[in-house]
Amino acid sequence: MEVRFKLSKFGKHLWTRAKAKTIRLELLAQLEKLHQGDTLIIDLSSVEVFDFSFANELFGKTLLSLRTEYVGRFLVVENLTDYTRENLDQALRALGLAIIERKGTELSLLGKAHAVDHATFAAIAQAGAPVTAAALRDELGVNVTAMNERLSKLVALGVARREKTASAAGREQYEYRVLA
Amino acid sequence: MNGQTAIAGGDPVRVTKLDSITFDFLLASVDGPRAVFDLAGIELITPSAMVQLAAVCHALARSGDRPRILVPARSVRGYLARAGFDAVVQNVAWIEPSLPWNPYEYLHGSNPMLIEVTKLTDGLSLPELLDHIIDVLRNSLSYEKYDAFDVATAVSEVSQNTFDHNRDSDTCGFLAMQVYGTGRKRFLEIGVADYGDGLATTLRRNPKNLPVHSDADAILKAVQVGASEHDDPTRGSGLYHLLQTGYKHQGTIQIRSGRAKVRYRGDKRQGWRFDVQHLDGVQVALILRAKTQSLGTH
Repeated sequence: MEVRFKLSKFGKHLWTRAKAKTIRLELLAQLEKLHQGDTLIIDLSSVEVFDFSFANELFGKTLLSLRTEYVGRFLVVENLTDYTRENLDQALRALGLAIIERKGTELSLLGKAHAVDHATFAAIAQAGAPVTAAALRDELGVNVTAMNERLSKLVALGVARREKTASAAGREQYEYRVLA
Repeated sequence: MNGQTAIAGGDPVRVTKLDSITFDFLLASVDGPRAVFDLAGIELITPSAMVQLAAVCHALARSGDRPRILVPARSVRGYLARAGFDAVVQNVAWIEPSLPWNPYEYLHGSNPMLIEVTKLTDGLSLPELLDHIIDVLRNSLSYEKYDAFDVATAVSEVSQNTFDHNRDSDTCGFLAMQVYGTGRKRFLEIGVADYGDGLATTLRRNPKNLPVHSDADAILKAVQVGASEHDDPTRGSGLYHLLQTGYKHQGTIQIRSGRAKVRYRGDKRQGWRFDVQHLDGVQVALILRAKTQSLGTH
């Protein structure tokens, strides 16, 4: 399930931590309704600017809460301008966090992510279905330890989800996916 | 002391402009209880000086003093009333000679080149002030939209610090702005000040910032990303962004706290430290010049 949260209903210039706090309460109420694997889309169309306090409070704190209170839900941003994208990226980098941006059908990461994280994330997204660490290892040409480290990081950032499944041979395995 | 003098090259110089630099001459001339700020000889007072004076008046009032501000020049007296200074100090200072009423009150908010001294107790008044700053930068100083957003963002962060870091000390902040000059010589000055705990005290609350040896040390730490009283990764970027924005637009930024101030020049990407008379809180001045020849006068 996807739920859309339109940020411009609060204004096109979004200032202050206090304003973000009130918006975050509404955002968390939406997250409460979601189940694991569901996606909350923050639609930034018409939003021209927000300050770092606003970004830290709204995006930063919500992403942090995904790790503890809303595990397995995805937070996605859409319709950013070059300016809001740069500022959100900068704010999240400073916080050591990352978020998924969707442009049409294309998914990418904003924030604190290394080039290899982007590549791993892109590989999972392009798979279009849950994918194992072994398959990703083969596709990206790295050893299994390195791949597991990369995947653990993406899961910890809340931009990928790990699901326990059974292999064709009946063995327990983990599969990874981004969005539903 | 009648009027303000500064020592330059060993000779006293009469000060006619009260700004973020000369404010410290004024503060140094005031000693002991029953403070008197004598503005004799002052012909012009800038936003950063006004917000600093407002902050010091409130700080003195908190300790039981009610300072007198002597303003013999009728034009300066009128400007202080017009710029909203009277309103924010009316319960904490005496302005002499006093005006029986503020004849400029009806003009409040009518001049796009001016943001009257505004008391900041929470974030409610900030959005309107920041949008005003964006309008001025774009329409009067020829800033590109995103550059204007950068400046407003930096001012927003610094302004939020005035009440965010002082929640337990029952203080507030002040913000003011004025545009000066015309054409390529046009520039604006924004002043933001509070009389709260100051940078050294707030930074010392977080052991990660230690050691903080002095007020100057605290200022230099505070302009680094992530320095905050809060052990929270979402805090502590306000002064860092202010400085980066000032550098980017080759402005002048002064950060004052306690017994120190550091004045940064964007064109040199360098700061100069000064020891100054103690003043509670943090006071910031930002001066930005017009990007290109702008049309119109004011």
